[in-house]
Amino acid sequence: MNAFEVPEVDYDQYTNRQLAAVPLAVLGLAILILVGWWAMTGAPVTPGIDFTGGSELTVVTSMSQSEVEASFDAEPLSVQQAVDEASTVGPDENQYIVRFQSTGIDQLRTQAQNEGMELLSSSSTAAAFGSGNQQTAVIGVLVAFLGMSVLIFGLFRTFVPSIAVVVSAFSDIIIPLAAMNLLNIKLSLGTVAALLMLIGYSVDSDILLNNHILRRSGSFYESTHRAMQTGVTMTVTSLSAMAVMAVVATIFNIELMASIGTVLVIGLAADLMNTYLLNLSLLRWYKFEGVNR
Amino acid sequence: MSGLRENWRIVLLVVLALGSVVTLMVPGATVSTGDNATANNATNASNEGLTNLQYGIQLDGGSRIRAPIVGITAEDIGLTNGTEAQALRDALVSRLDVDQIDVEVRLPNERTDQASSTSVEVFTENVSQQELATALQEEGYDVSESDVRDGVTQSTRNEMVSVIERKLSFSALSNANVQAAQSATGQNYIVIEATGRDIDELRSIVDQRGVVRVYTFTPDETGGYARNQVLTQQDFARIGNAQQRERGDYGVSVTINDQAAPRFVQDVQQAGFDQGTTYRCNYDEENPNESTGAPGGDPYCLLATLDGNVVFSGGVDADLASSFASGSFTNDPTFSMTTPTREQARNIELSLKAGQPLPAPLDFENAQTTSLEPALADQFKINSLITGVIAVLAVSVVVFLRYGDPRVAAPMIVTALSEVLLLLGFVSLIQFPINLSHIAGFIAVIGTGADDLIIIADEILQREGVATDRVFRNRFRKAFWVIGAAAATTIIAMSPLTVLGLGDLTGFAIITIVGVLLGVLITRPAYGDILRKLVLDDESDN
Repeated sequence: MNAFEVPEVDYDQYTNRQLAAVPLAVLGLAILILVGWWAMTGAPVTPGIDFTGGSELTVVTSMSQSEVEASFDAEPLSVQQAVDEASTVGPDENQYIVRFQSTGIDQLRTQAQNEGMELLSSSSTAAAFGSGNQQTAVIGVLVAFLGMSVLIFGLFRTFVPSIAVVVSAFSDIIIPLAAMNLLNIKLSLGTVAALLMLIGYSVDSDILLNNHILRRSGSFYESTHRAMQTGVTMTVTSLSAMAVMAVVATIFNIELMASIGTVLVIGLAADLMNTYLLNLSLLRWYKFEGVNR
Repeated sequence: MSGLRENWRIVLLVVLALGSVVTLMVPGATVSTGDNATANNATNASNEGLTNLQYGIQLDGGSRIRAPIVGITAEDIGLTNGTEAQALRDALVSRLDVDQIDVEVRLPNERTDQASSTSVEVFTENVSQQELATALQEEGYDVSESDVRDGVTQSTRNEMVSVIERKLSFSALSNANVQAAQSATGQNYIVIEATGRDIDELRSIVDQRGVVRVYTFTPDETGGYARNQVLTQQDFARIGNAQQRERGDYGVSVTINDQAAPRFVQDVQQAGFDQGTTYRCNYDEENPNESTGAPGGDPYCLLATLDGNVVFSGGVDADLASSFASGSFTNDPTFSMTTPTREQARNIELSLKAGQPLPAPLDFENAQTTSLEPALADQFKINSLITGVIAVLAVSVVVFLRYGDPRVAAPMIVTALSEVLLLLGFVSLIQFPINLSHIAGFIAVIGTGADDLIIIADEILQREGVATDRVFRNRFRKAFWVIGAAAATTIIAMSPLTVLGLGDLTGFAIITIVGVLLGVLITRPAYGDILRKLVLDDESDN
């Protein structure tokens, strides 16, 4: 009767080592990318202008992309053409988002206006402000992660199941961070929000799995299957909402929502893998071998 | 009746949903938070939208400035009384060669604020921490350079906020919000957000301290000309609006308050305005000593300065002069200041209306500014709405595909949406301005909401088991453990953002947390009740 059923995985066929190998390999690769990136660029993830300081203008003009680029004294970091659904622009005009490292927003505004561009928005962040933001954001993510870990240990009160959740959540954050480098997404306030949201979202399915296996009657595989039915549905639902948000917001050029969406899609996909391979293998080891020690 | 009691969760949800609709739709059905919000919203008649929702600058257009305050502070310097404080202030002004208003000396309990220690603040970029320390040492205070920190005191920040608030509220376009904020790294700054206002316009209001002073400029005993201060900002009672006059220049009508008026009359008489004749003034700004006028070819001027620049210079006509001479001016102490440009007149007006200059300048070098035209904001509004709707559709499709049974899936979607409705009611009730990040928050809430409803549905609709009230309760409790734990992690993950001062993200975090709380406490239990009805009805049908 249902159009999609969560498939029953035959976990029996694989050893714990085999199950854990895949997510751990991916996690290792992700860490490698971040470390490599760090060594090459000086930061594990390239910070955007929220953190480095810089300026951004949204302009409407009949100029071409390269003409826009040449109109400013300061060389733009990027010129991006935007899709406009609310049709605020005329037939021969385009809307562009132009980013600069410079923070002389007054000059940039004047130059744009002198070139006959219509200014739709402008923003600028001083470098000092940006680096303050960056520290703050790092503190925020660390505190959130620590808080989550403490809560998980408090809820389950046993080491292996708790650490399984924490490791999964850690991987759920690290993998999208590495993916951001590959997809050329810079770290922004939006992506930080997404990472924090991932902490909240991704732990749901882990808690559900642990809860079913540890606190319910029934065999390990029965419990697993039941938890997966619910958990996979949950994650797929969130995933589809976020995928849609990412795609639509990218088309509309709503950067904040697009980056939140993209990071969450990657993170939730990573979560599917981490929960049902990594977390599950740790739980199975705990249930069949660890408990008896 | 028993139906009502049994289904109280559903009833509560319906009541709250209706309440939210009322708050959203019925004009005036909202409360405002805080004094400034009340003042701003009361004067804001421009809210002609369909709903009572307040939009922030990203969805309504407007400008925002986040800027640190210029200043350095030395604390705990062991002052005992007000006389000593005043003496120290005067001494620092001459030692550091700065203006009176650039130095502030505070004693404990001067205000009820946290300023529980004595402090010396200097509000200019021209004085380094070492220079202040040296000056204090020379005055005999035991202060080393490391005792002087960057930044200003809490009292100064509070004054900044209230002066900026007053200036903005007197400027024609209201609906501005001013706050002092602190980043996690300890950096303090002022956040000014004004909807529907161009960044240039907003900056022009807060760019300068807005120090207005009035001087006489008249011949002195030595044969030269002397400039004497006769009025400061605090001496005014009523200030008119800046208006263009027939001659093309701009005028502000000002009234001196009762305490200052007698002193003012005395001062101007002493300066030479003691005959009831016409005094003329051709003030030469470049070389004041070259100025001319009448009587006797000498300038007899009243000057007004704004931030140290002369913006008004004028003589005194016979009527006003005789009221100065007789002292009857105190009965109606009103005169008019004129300036060549509208901006100067407006700045004088706003600065005088604010009653005091900005205690310290804002550091625009290290600021963050954002400005959005209403056209782009409208674009964002429509597009983000579309994005939200499509996200809801995506969730609905997945849920329908998964459960097949519309009796399970439809209430799930409706419940998830009601969560957003309650949340909208909430933000509209407290008149929280919505930005893009909040819409992302709404979508996040739909996502977590759907997750939790799936947990409830799966738990309650398990294949085996008797459909009795007891079994239902038991299953619901089990489901709720997971939901509660998940909600707690989300709240913990988001809570750092609410206090870290990362701008847009604060709102996002608040929306998500409130949404999760509304969900866990109200909507999700109600969905459980709906499912119970479903299950129990099925049972009785069989």
